[in-house]
Amino acid sequence: MHTRSAILLAVALALPGVPAAAQMNRAALVKQSDIIFIGTVTQVGAVAAPEVPASNRTVVVRVDKVLEKPAAVALVESDSVTVETVRAGSLKPGVQATFYTTGWIFGRGVAVREVGHEPGRSPVVVTDQEAAVAKARLDVNDADLKAHVDRAAMVVEGRVQQVRPAELAATPTHPRRITEHDPQWQEAIIQVQDGIKGAQPGEQVVVRFPGSHDVAWVGTPKFAEGQEGTFVLHVDSTTGSPHAMIAGRSVLAYTALHKLDVLSRLDATRVRGLIKKP
Amino acid sequence: MVVYCGMGIQLSIVAAALCVACQGSDQPVPQPPTRLAGVRVVDLIPRSLSGETWQDAEPFLALYDSNPKLMAASAFTPNPGGSTSATAPIFVSNDGGDSWTLRNTLPSEGMTADITHAVGGSAPVLYAGIMKVPGFPLNELKASDVFSPATMTLQSSRPDIDQPFVRTAAVASADRVYVGLNDFDAPDGRTATVDVSLDGGATYRSRRIETRGTLGQNGPSIRPAVARDHTVYVAYFGWRSQTGSDVTSDVVVVRDDSGATGTAPFKDLVDPSDHLPGRLVATRVTIPWSNAPTLGQERIGSTLSIAVNALHSDTVYLAWADRAGTGDIYTVHLRTSGDRGVTWSGDRRTVTNATNASLAVAANGTAGFLYQQVTGAGDASRWVTRLERSRDGFATHQDVVLAHVPATTPTFQFLPYIGDYNGLLARGNVFLGIFSANNAPDSANFPQGVVYQRRVDFPTHRLLDGSGAAVAVSIDPFFFSVPVLP
Repeated sequence: MHTRSAILLAVALALPGVPAAAQMNRAALVKQSDIIFIGTVTQVGAVAAPEVPASNRTVVVRVDKVLEKPAAVALVESDSVTVETVRAGSLKPGVQATFYTTGWIFGRGVAVREVGHEPGRSPVVVTDQEAAVAKARLDVNDADLKAHVDRAAMVVEGRVQQVRPAELAATPTHPRRITEHDPQWQEAIIQVQDGIKGAQPGEQVVVRFPGSHDVAWVGTPKFAEGQEGTFVLHVDSTTGSPHAMIAGRSVLAYTALHKLDVLSRLDATRVRGLIKKP
Repeated sequence: MVVYCGMGIQLSIVAAALCVACQGSDQPVPQPPTRLAGVRVVDLIPRSLSGETWQDAEPFLALYDSNPKLMAASAFTPNPGGSTSATAPIFVSNDGGDSWTLRNTLPSEGMTADITHAVGGSAPVLYAGIMKVPGFPLNELKASDVFSPATMTLQSSRPDIDQPFVRTAAVASADRVYVGLNDFDAPDGRTATVDVSLDGGATYRSRRIETRGTLGQNGPSIRPAVARDHTVYVAYFGWRSQTGSDVTSDVVVVRDDSGATGTAPFKDLVDPSDHLPGRLVATRVTIPWSNAPTLGQERIGSTLSIAVNALHSDTVYLAWADRAGTGDIYTVHLRTSGDRGVTWSGDRRTVTNATNASLAVAANGTAGFLYQQVTGAGDASRWVTRLERSRDGFATHQDVVLAHVPATTPTFQFLPYIGDYNGLLARGNVFLGIFSANNAPDSANFPQGVVYQRRVDFPTHRLLDGSGAAVAVSIDPFFFSVPVLP
């Protein structure tokens, strides 16, 4: 984030009477952040752990409340965190703020890079900020899902009838290779119960997915017979074989390789709502 | 009363609370007094990531000769920010491996799909070869300062490769970089390749090293080793045919006597049987290719390591794994040559049901042989990580067990479980290496002691997160140092 925009965000969020703008800007901060906390600046030009280089942009912040963090990160109230600020001199000792950050250096302590901060009133009302950040995260997640659904060729609510190995012809662009990263493509036959986008109830759809346990495919959705859900499907441009067979018919094959491609059945209502949004 | 802490130093109970080696642990570590002096084993996961439960497999290590304090290490450790992050992390140490920090400086989304690295001639330059996420193209990278928070610089990239394996040498002001890799776009199915840079990674040339027919490709492991006189050896698997999941392979070593600077490199070692470049150290061995949990939850199929005595390039060691057919799952073989790879010994070591062989040769000629072996059966099976050291080409050896951990827990999250390789290097009078293993803080699992940076409670064998809550056991990378034989 550029210095000027970070300052503007901080100012906008601090001003009373601009809730809509503030909410929009908070969502932008949340979207870029993975560690968010309320904290109080204790030192400037300093660091909280020896493995982090001090500069005129580093400040030490005492954590008053952790609002969001990855599970792996050990960060609790009263910990001291090194924050590399967007701009030198932007924070003074004693200032309490909500810090929107990304992980920088993980050692004895946590060091983060500021995406932006939200000074608010001092002291910050923790419950208000918790709710505001949680709401912003929901908005960000909805926006991400909507964009993902908009890019999809098909969205269906359905059930996996069958899983079978994919029979892909070797092509000049996708020759057969022996590698530990081989995706070991599988095909899930999905019986469509409700076509949310681009499909009709009763249709059968072929979805390709990597059956491999290799590290290259970790986190990629896998399918199992009997699995029900809301599936966000994309025309297969990955395997090199765009068509598959169902009951002797050649049909377009789809893929679902992103974690947002496989949702619970309950998510169908949310997806329908997002599709209707402008 | 006496207690022992992570480095084999006896301390009185009065001083136990001050035990430096146990920093990061919440309690002093009771250990039996049967350790080798000078051995260190350090869990790399930093204290600020005490909540992590990932499978940090396939570790690798890089060392600076010019500054023994500086090191870099990697594993399949994700960016703690998650899979949407634009960068992946690397570990660095500036205190000789006693402590490590994680920095997100690799240009790969969240994690890499493969990574190795080696240092430049002047600290703190680092070269890395990664398979980048997404899409898994080769990225050949350079950091002018491995401690800088800046993302490493991309020097070269192309798709359709596997297992980049980086070694380096310094010549005057330029670093030479040798990246062994399996290049699926190589002609005629002769995919064993070394990307050679003679100008610090500014430019690379892909050198094909297979001279014989293959089944359509070589095995994934292409391993260079470089001596001070610029002799470069490369080991690879010459895959000749396949029946089901079994590959029939030759184990081949090529050599270049001038740092691969000529127009037709890697042709200085010829096999007497067909007069082609590439000495056939073993022929028609059976490689079981299994990309599924097969040996202690690990996959198998491409274990290979080569090391040269950096000061006496006539001496070279080679280890690989195949299926011997004696009821074994996978067997590691170690052989040696004292005449620049022209003739080779028979098996000097044969280790059943083992993988992840890594070799190194120290300045005084001590050879190190690191491997990970499954012992026992069923729920009682263990992954045993062992370093063997020899001064006589493994006619005799002394060994050190670094870890002796359950092989059935934790359940694998993905493959590789502990790695398709690990790392061993030598510097001065020590071997320095890295392996991945079950991270349960149980003194019985680490016979040489262990130091955790992350929060643990040894008396209850529990990992703890930042708030003191229990954390599930997972696979962590462990750095170690072991003295060479005198």
